[in-house]
Amino acid sequence: MIELRKVGLKYGDREILKNISLTIKDNTIKAILGPSGVGKSTILKLMLGLIKPNNGQVIVDGTDITNMKETALYEIRRKMGMVFQGNALFDSLTISQNLGFFLRENLKLPEEEIRQKVAEQIQFAGLEGYEEQLPESLSGGMRRRVAIGRALIFKPHMILFDEPTAGLDPVSSKKILSLISSLRHNNNLGAVIVTHIIDDVFNVADSVAVLYQGEIIFDDVTEKLHEAEHPFIRSILSDKILEL
Amino acid sequence: MKTQLSTDVTPQSSFFISGIFRMFGKKLVQQLKDFFFTMQEFFLFSLRAFMAFPKTIRYWRDVLDQATICGTDSIPIVLVSAISIGALLAIEVGNLLEDFGAKTMLGRSTALSVIRELGPLLMGLMLSARFGSRNGAELGAMQISEQIDALRAFGTDPIAKLVMPRLVAALIMFLPLTALSDFAGLQSAAYMAEHYHRIDPGIFWNAVYPRLAPKDFVVGFLKAPVFAVIITLVSSFNGFSARGGTAGVGRSTIKGIVVSSGLVLIANFYVSKIVLENM
Repeated sequence: MIELRKVGLKYGDREILKNISLTIKDNTIKAILGPSGVGKSTILKLMLGLIKPNNGQVIVDGTDITNMKETALYEIRRKMGMVFQGNALFDSLTISQNLGFFLRENLKLPEEEIRQKVAEQIQFAGLEGYEEQLPESLSGGMRRRVAIGRALIFKPHMILFDEPTAGLDPVSSKKILSLISSLRHNNNLGAVIVTHIIDDVFNVADSVAVLYQGEIIFDDVTEKLHEAEHPFIRSILSDKILEL
Repeated sequence: MKTQLSTDVTPQSSFFISGIFRMFGKKLVQQLKDFFFTMQEFFLFSLRAFMAFPKTIRYWRDVLDQATICGTDSIPIVLVSAISIGALLAIEVGNLLEDFGAKTMLGRSTALSVIRELGPLLMGLMLSARFGSRNGAELGAMQISEQIDALRAFGTDPIAKLVMPRLVAALIMFLPLTALSDFAGLQSAAYMAEHYHRIDPGIFWNAVYPRLAPKDFVVGFLKAPVFAVIITLVSSFNGFSARGGTAGVGRSTIKGIVVSSGLVLIANFYVSKIVLENM
């Protein structure tokens, strides 16, 4: 379980997040919806301890990671997988090297076991035959699937997705969303999805938090979003995609 | 009649002037704050790079890769700069010494210039441009594309993985590159002495070897590790600090080269001064 308790964050004089409180339970999919530049991705980075908040607490599985040292955070981070918006694949490494990279870096596993785990992820992502290709030679959807495969490599119990369908064609978006749903059903994984596409929220999320001007203006089960009366939520329900 | 100094400062203009001063004062304070914050960040970054040295064995492949990039691959540019400066130095200094009838001293004067100053300095500047720009651009691109965040997110220390191998490789490779630069510079000077000034090679080399003191080599070779630390850490830090897309990568790369080149020039002066005053 991940908890954000009254978290605030400032960049210089600019207040990015104000008093954010969120709870993401295990084996549930929570979406964080909001317009671009509002601090959605920052929330994911806070959950991983990549950024430290100015005030408030970040708690992962009962451990307060707010002021934890970087080296101590490495263990915590392996409980969560992260799929970055631009995938953040290592462009000079092949797909199989990308998938095996962190296993070789962080675990002292025999090479045979690493190859087996990589093969599992290749199969999961449906990328058989592309093992020796560089990321640049794959389509956007395929690269996203590699990034998801990499995020699963340590068998985390929670995956954080930063705009999982942004920049993808409708078919690839659908594939990625069904992949996210299948992760919960088949692997008992929880997920946090940061998005500005409201259809993604209705397609996969159990609950949704709406972030607007650095504050959470809605946090409830997805079905109740239609009943929300906040003018911003009313406007996004009619526009579907947030371009604000 | 008493002359009175006219003061054209009306209350409005005085308010305007004080407003300008306040604005510039605020900006200056902010810039100073930013400067000290950056210095603090750079210090911590450098400390973490040095503290990652025990992981050298774990990352030996990365160290070897970087040694090839900053060492073997840099040989041509180091040779070109050393040969041209050695030749130029021999021609100009030879012409000057000819006026005093002291052409036989050409070997000594070029040897001192090349070994103490120009060999290491040119090597440092060339590597600042070549190795430093590569570090800045590569790490900047990794920062912009969130690859560095990905390393942290999956439990790998990016400084140990990306910066420490560069630093170790530079510390190892800059010494032989300095020696190569000195050797090539002196050889080209000897060639020009023989073919341009018609000085017998025996006379040239006789003025070089017996007169070189240990401190001349200490001055020259002490600069190599100093330059290695400056170039690697400054360029890597700027790469890690890249913000704002591809233009940001360009800015951080340029900043890395400019700052490290400037620091190489300053360090060159102080290393020479300190060693020559104390040996």
